[in-house]
Amino acid sequence: MKILVCLKQVPHKDARLEIAPDGKWIADANIKFEINDYDNYALEEALRAKDKDPATEVVVATLGPDRVQQSLRTALGMGADRAIQVWDDSLAGADSLSVAKTLAAVAKAEKCDLVLLGLMSDDTNFALTGPILAELLGVPSATGIVSAKLDGGQVEVERELEGGALEVVKLPLPCLLTAQTGMNEVRYASLKGIMQAKKKPLDKKSLGDLGLSAGAVASKSKIEKIYTPPKGSGAEILSGSKDEVAQKFVGKVKELGLL
Amino acid sequence: MAKTLIVAEIQKGALREATLELVTAARKLGGDVASLVIGSGVGGIAEDLSKKGGGKVLVADDPSLANYNVDGWTRAIRKAVDAEKPELILISNTPIGWDVAGRVAAQLDCGIASDVIKIEPEGSDLVFVRRMFNAKFDARLRVSGTPRVATMQPGASEAYAGSDAGSVVKLDGVGGDARTKFVEIRTAPAGGHDLTKAEIIVSGGRGLQKPENFEAVLKPLVDALGAQMGASRPVVDAGWLPHEYQVGSSGQIVSPKLYVAVGISGAIQHLVGMKNSNFIIAINKDADAPIFEVADVGIVGDLFEIVPALASAVKSAKGG
Ligand SMILES: Cc1cc2nc3c(=O)[nH]c(=O)nc-3n(C[C@H](O)[C@H](O)[C@H](O)COP(=O)(O)OP(=O)(O)OC[C@H]3O[C@@H](n4cnc5c(N)ncnc54)[C@H](O)[C@@H]3O)c2cc1C
Ligand SMILES: Nc1ncnc2c1ncn2[C@@H]1O[C@H](COP(=O)(O)O)[C@@H](O)[C@H]1O
Repeated sequence: MKILVCLKQVPHKDARLEIAPDGKWIADANIKFEINDYDNYALEEALRAKDKDPATEVVVATLGPDRVQQSLRTALGMGADRAIQVWDDSLAGADSLSVAKTLAAVAKAEKCDLVLLGLMSDDTNFALTGPILAELLGVPSATGIVSAKLDGGQVEVERELEGGALEVVKLPLPCLLTAQTGMNEVRYASLKGIMQAKKKPLDKKSLGDLGLSAGAVASKSKIEKIYTPPKGSGAEILSGSKDEVAQKFVGKVKELGLL
Repeated sequence: MAKTLIVAEIQKGALREATLELVTAARKLGGDVASLVIGSGVGGIAEDLSKKGGGKVLVADDPSLANYNVDGWTRAIRKAVDAEKPELILISNTPIGWDVAGRVAAQLDCGIASDVIKIEPEGSDLVFVRRMFNAKFDARLRVSGTPRVATMQPGASEAYAGSDAGSVVKLDGVGGDARTKFVEIRTAPAGGHDLTKAEIIVSGGRGLQKPENFEAVLKPLVDALGAQMGASRPVVDAGWLPHEYQVGSSGQIVSPKLYVAVGISGAIQHLVGMKNSNFIIAINKDADAPIFEVADVGIVGDLFEIVPALASAVKSAKGG
């Protein structure tokens, strides 16, 4: 069995995000990055399949500039076998369709039984790449899954709906799944794993290496501007020392008749 | 704007409110409106939508569509697109919407914008306004070319309240196999921690950093107020608290008299669960956190200093 996990490097959850001078993206030259949270769950699920059947090969792929190699090394340290980085300067600002077309070329070349992604990336919040990629690959899919049971040539998954309800569906392999957070307990890379990761293959590919061109994967949408949402009436901010703030808080609760 | 195709959703046997919000968004653009209702035995719902602004309503009615499946829906939407040739296909950003919308766009090889809150026509382009970075920033996304697909955030528009006479047309050839097979729906087991009836809820988020802090830092305030404890999703994902504590779109929808959000940023999926609370107080160290937009009162600062001060002030106010 061969599993491809597509993961994205996104700004660290605790990074202070500022808008870049051109107003089209965040200033990302001096911030910390990490693997997108949702993708960690996808990777963990793949590694669990490998724990059960060591013959399973787990390949991780990402589309991004050289800084993403650090995240790929982390994934290798956690236990993935091989890593693929795809980059071409023309991919800067690529939309989901463009990213999926590029990842589709990787997936086709790898001939995987299972393709795993995260439901959504924490920077763009698109939640689109998975279903687009599934359609391009011509394989069945399920999004936002919180469990997966592999059983021979098929997989039974629970898709998360609203209010905690779950939809159980069955898919034949090969197929594509996108992981919702909380799906499993994500492992850390062990020291031994990190040492081994240094020797594992990390291939960097250009669009040309994949038989693609900038035109073939051109984006159809682009982010024109990002900005701090216009402030509405907003909250009344309580000011003062922490004890003054606490007194004002008590005053509010009393006004509500709850004290 | 030439024509918009709305993909309807059915919930508990009736049109989902989010579908009527799509009607409002489509009508705002001017141009024709057509809709698509998918399911089995859904002629009545199509009739209903045709009277509620859905325009010409296509019905993909087939036993194989009795339960949602992505293959059947992709096929039905494609049929409707071929029949109506819309410039814009509007779908709600729901568990169905985010499962199927990308597939439709990939089939049509067209641009797509997800979780949109506003659509602005500019020349022959459409600009879609949406949140990014978990609501920290807004973005303007320009999608060129036609058709294009957009999923709309439920609640972003008013539900269309007008009544107009449209028509209903049956769409043929919509049945067929689904590779992704429906097995069953499992509802969340009723937990012992029902937040929907609580008068006061104090919820903690990822800002609390460690599971121990829910006991050590949050609980004293919960107890002082006689409140119930709630949480954001990452807290539950990490196993710090059980799912029955989770407030939000995939947890409980609450509307207490007072909701106190501690170390919670205010992502839309959390807001959906608590924004109808009677009064909201948010505590966050980031003055720009989106939670302050829905809060009535905000306290900007380190929760580890503020929350204990609040707990003791409430206690002494009670004379304890
Ligand atoms: C389909 C789907 C369903 C979802 N369902 C839900 C749901 O039901 N409920 C839900 O909550 N989320 C849900 N989410 C996740 C949601 O998108 C957010 O990821 C989540 O709400 C973030 O939780 P948080 O605010 O606790 O964490 P973060 O966004 O990380 O925010 C932590 C906050 O704490 C503040 N903070 C940190 N340290 C301190 C300190 N010392 N003092 C004061 N403030 C501090 C930070 O400034 C930050 O604002 C869902 C997502 C998807 C895609
Ligand atoms: N640049 C990328 N490289 C690899 N995988 C990606 C990339 N962008 C998105 N993905 C995958 O697609 C998922 C959904 O992302 P999105 O559609 O951008 O919200 C992510 O969780 C990743 O698994």
